[in-house]
Amino acid sequence: MPAEPDSKQRLLATAGVSVHYGGVRANDEITLAVDGGEIVGLIGPNGAGKTTFVDAITGFTRYTGTVELGGTSLDDAGPHRRRRAGLARTWQAGELFGDLTVAENLIVAVEGGGVRGALTDVFGRRRRTDQAVWNALELVGLAELAEHRPDQLTLGQQKLVGVARAIVGATQVLLLDEPAAGLDTEESVAFGGELRRLAASGLGVLLIDHDMTLVLDVCDRVYVMDFGRIIATGTPAEVSADERVVAAYLGSAVTT
Amino acid sequence: MSDILQFAVLGFSTGAVYAVLGSSLVSIYVATGIINFAQGSLALWGVWQTAALQANGTLVLPIGSFKLTDGPTDTVPALLIGAASCLVWAVLAHFLVFRPLRRAPVLGQVVASVGMMLLLQALVTLRFDADTLGLDPTVLIPMPILPSDTFTLAGATIAVSNLILAGIAIAIAAGMWAYLRFTKMGTATRAGAEDERALRLLGYSPDRLAALVWGATGFVSGLIVVLAAPAIGGLDPTSYMFYVVPALSVALVGRLTSVGTVCAAGLALGALQQILLFGTTKDWWPSWAQAGVGDAIPFVIVVVALFALGRSIPERGSAGVGRLPRVSVPRLRPLPVAGAVAVAGLVIALTSGTWRFSLVMSAIFTLIAVSVVLLTGYLGQISLATMAFAGAAGFALSKLTTNAGVPFPFSLFLAAVVSTLLGVIVGVPALRIRGAQLAVATVAAALAIEAFVFNNPSLTPYSGALIKDPSLFGYSLAVREGTNIITLRFSYLVLAVVVLLLIAVARLFGGATGRAFLAVRSNERAASSAGVDVAATKLLGFAIASFLAGIGGGLIGYSSGQLSAASFTVLVGLTVLAMTYVGGITTITGAVIAGLAGPLGVLYLFLNQSLDLSKYYTLIAALGMLLRAVVFPPDGGPVQEWLAARLPRRTPALATGAGSVTAGSVTAGSVTAGSVTAGTAATSAGTAAASTATAPSAGTTDGVAASAASAASAASAASAASAASGGPADSESSADSDSVTAADAAPSIAARSADAR
Ligand SMILES: Nc1ncnc2c1ncn2[C@@H]1O[C@H](COP(=O)(O)OP(=O)(O)O)[C@@H](O)[C@H]1O
Ligand SMILES: [Mg+2]
Repeated sequence: MPAEPDSKQRLLATAGVSVHYGGVRANDEITLAVDGGEIVGLIGPNGAGKTTFVDAITGFTRYTGTVELGGTSLDDAGPHRRRRAGLARTWQAGELFGDLTVAENLIVAVEGGGVRGALTDVFGRRRRTDQAVWNALELVGLAELAEHRPDQLTLGQQKLVGVARAIVGATQVLLLDEPAAGLDTEESVAFGGELRRLAASGLGVLLIDHDMTLVLDVCDRVYVMDFGRIIATGTPAEVSADERVVAAYLGSAVTT
Repeated sequence: MSDILQFAVLGFSTGAVYAVLGSSLVSIYVATGIINFAQGSLALWGVWQTAALQANGTLVLPIGSFKLTDGPTDTVPALLIGAASCLVWAVLAHFLVFRPLRRAPVLGQVVASVGMMLLLQALVTLRFDADTLGLDPTVLIPMPILPSDTFTLAGATIAVSNLILAGIAIAIAAGMWAYLRFTKMGTATRAGAEDERALRLLGYSPDRLAALVWGATGFVSGLIVVLAAPAIGGLDPTSYMFYVVPALSVALVGRLTSVGTVCAAGLALGALQQILLFGTTKDWWPSWAQAGVGDAIPFVIVVVALFALGRSIPERGSAGVGRLPRVSVPRLRPLPVAGAVAVAGLVIALTSGTWRFSLVMSAIFTLIAVSVVLLTGYLGQISLATMAFAGAAGFALSKLTTNAGVPFPFSLFLAAVVSTLLGVIVGVPALRIRGAQLAVATVAAALAIEAFVFNNPSLTPYSGALIKDPSLFGYSLAVREGTNIITLRFSYLVLAVVVLLLIAVARLFGGATGRAFLAVRSNERAASSAGVDVAATKLLGFAIASFLAGIGGGLIGYSSGQLSAASFTVLVGLTVLAMTYVGGITTITGAVIAGLAGPLGVLYLFLNQSLDLSKYYTLIAALGMLLRAVVFPPDGGPVQEWLAARLPRRTPALATGAGSVTAGSVTAGSVTAGSVTAGTAATSAGTAAASTATAPSAGTTDGVAASAASAASAASAASAASAASGGPADSESSADSDSVTAADAAPSIAARSADAR
């Protein structure tokens, strides 16, 4: 079991988040919370609206409702501000920077750019790579590949680089969109262990994945989504016993 | 009121051209996804061809010519042959240039279509000359073909020919619309890019369908321009080339999908420009806005279209920008840099007169090319406005030194600040659009600046805008002294400024800025999910790029003592882009090659003095651009793949340092260098390239070192640089991002084919 911090702090809180794509209600009044030190699962069949939810709360798609991080509203902030505020995500398709090395993919997320960055580049001293970058690569076990290009990595490794990129910086809540999709069973188990270590350090994690063993194993709580709605929530044991959930999703996924 | 009606109808002649060119652009885009900047140049050839036939029956071919008829050809055959010549060019362009590039990154496609644009314009100038025609080309005029009757309506005199032109434009657009909408082949064309395989199963060849669209649009573009030319005015070797810009702007108004809207917007734009022209003759019209208003309108339209229509302009292939050539971050090593600068200083000291002048111009154009590398190569934003930024600084420099008396280092800096501000403004559309559409917006901006500022007599006097010579602490840094056309002091001033800025750029590339740029270039949404402010980063890119170009423009101004608009035309800007792309658009060494090959640079002088070939300069630039885009694309093309598959790899030890330098890529690099230096340098380029490539450090040697070293000898430096940039850039194949391109293209294609209203 993941270590329980003494006082659970509410980090991410969404209330009534809804997303419309044309006539489709891809998210319908999603209210969900993630506390520090907690791994929360978000599961549901393909097309349920999980990715849409992540897109919405990270500022990549329009939504109604509210999103708060550590008690501060993020509703008026663009994606990069939400990331800098501590709400970090990964992408289902990896989406690494193909022109940068693995290490640089992470460095981009910690260093400041803009005019000040440019002036520092020209007039300042060369910056050393942030220790956090090495720590994050260490954590996902990819430190030896730091100087490689993403296209030299396997799909599973690319996903892990995406996770590492989301960890670095002042991340408080980590949103993982199917991070284990490219991993084999052994790697997936190892990845579960890494997630627990991350959560133990106080991070909140929202885990979306189809690997039921991983989700039921590492999560403290699970939300189940179908047709854009939360249809059930509870501990892994409660959720996997819920008939509606079995009907909507688990029935097929667990038995196969 | 009657005046307004009269001028509006007068505007139908240009409006008809915009409407047909714009509709053609949309049809080509729907069929192939290409935005064809060469559509105006195509028509330009047709006008000249018809005029030549009507003058003395000469049919001009790219090589050779013959008398089709003794004496003038009859009107109708001349018209049809002129339009047919455009058809032939369009079909050739499809099969030789655009079809091979259908899966290429957007930058490659834009470069190729700009290459076609320059090629045709250069050929028009070269081929329709006195020798070929047997008469002075300046006496050629477009002969009236349409009836010259007029009638009066509500007090306005209306020329029948203008109404006929509008009618023909509407008929042509309606024809295109009906073809795409109702015929089986048209429907298949729209679906073509979406799923080629399905199309083949249905028994259609996507190639032939696209060729049909290319040919038909080429023909009607030629036809309308030939018909409208007598009303629009005389013949000159560039005019219709840039009609593509207003045509592109109305194409954007039609969201690149709706032929009907484009036709209406084209006619309206023509009418509006004439009405504005009429307005400028009035007393109440502000005098500073008397010239160039009409030419500034397309940019206004582009901006309004982009912001009013929001994101509804379907995009395709935006992911392709990510497939730009690989970047190896420059490393600054003090010793090579110092050595190279010393060599450059020595060469400048040892030369004099025109040779020294061309070296200095090469240094300045290296700086301008670096601005292209930064903005387009590193940040992935295709801008065609580089020379406009440079010119704006030159213009500001003239005002600052002669009117305000600002002393030297501040004058240059403030002038560059002016162009920085301009760059940020022009960069705003980049927050909404990418790829080829951004290229359209920037070229429209460049034309607007050219017409409204450089060619505006109330801002830039005809006598030229003088620039006071620089001096520092009473020590003159003037470019001329007595009969010496270029002083050592001025040369060293330029060298110092350029070297310092190149070092600064190299540091940017190696720092947080370079990483943020590359992140945005690779994947915008991933960048913002990693905390990068994409909008601010793009504007920063535009700001830095226009600052660099501005310093370059200021130095050009100082080097001639006055501002001449001719140094900063859109055409020069396109040439600089061409040279930078040929040299290597992601490296500082590429910029150095561009500088050496750039306008008035060492290559130009070499062509001029040693071979007397300077009139072929634009042609060579265009061919270099096309060859580089189609045959040796920097992201890996057919030739590189073919060679890489057949030739053994170099020793594996090389693979770690600068990316694997394959023999294939080195060969490709040297061939490109050969084409730049007009063949004579090819042999030495090959040798130098091979020898450089064997030293692993060559690939990573920073551009600044190469920059100064290159001053020593144009040919060998160009080849060394191309080897340096060619190695890591060319050897990486781009198979990895295929899936991304395909995935991202799918929805946009769907959007594109969904409606052709
Ligand atoms: N950008 C979009 N535009 C329109 N519809 C979308 C878009 N993204 C997702 N959808 C639709 O929203 C629904 C939810 O999709 P998604 O969030 O990707 O599901 P999940 O991640 O749970 O598999 C699906 O019906 C999908 O087709
Ligand atoms: Mg999903």
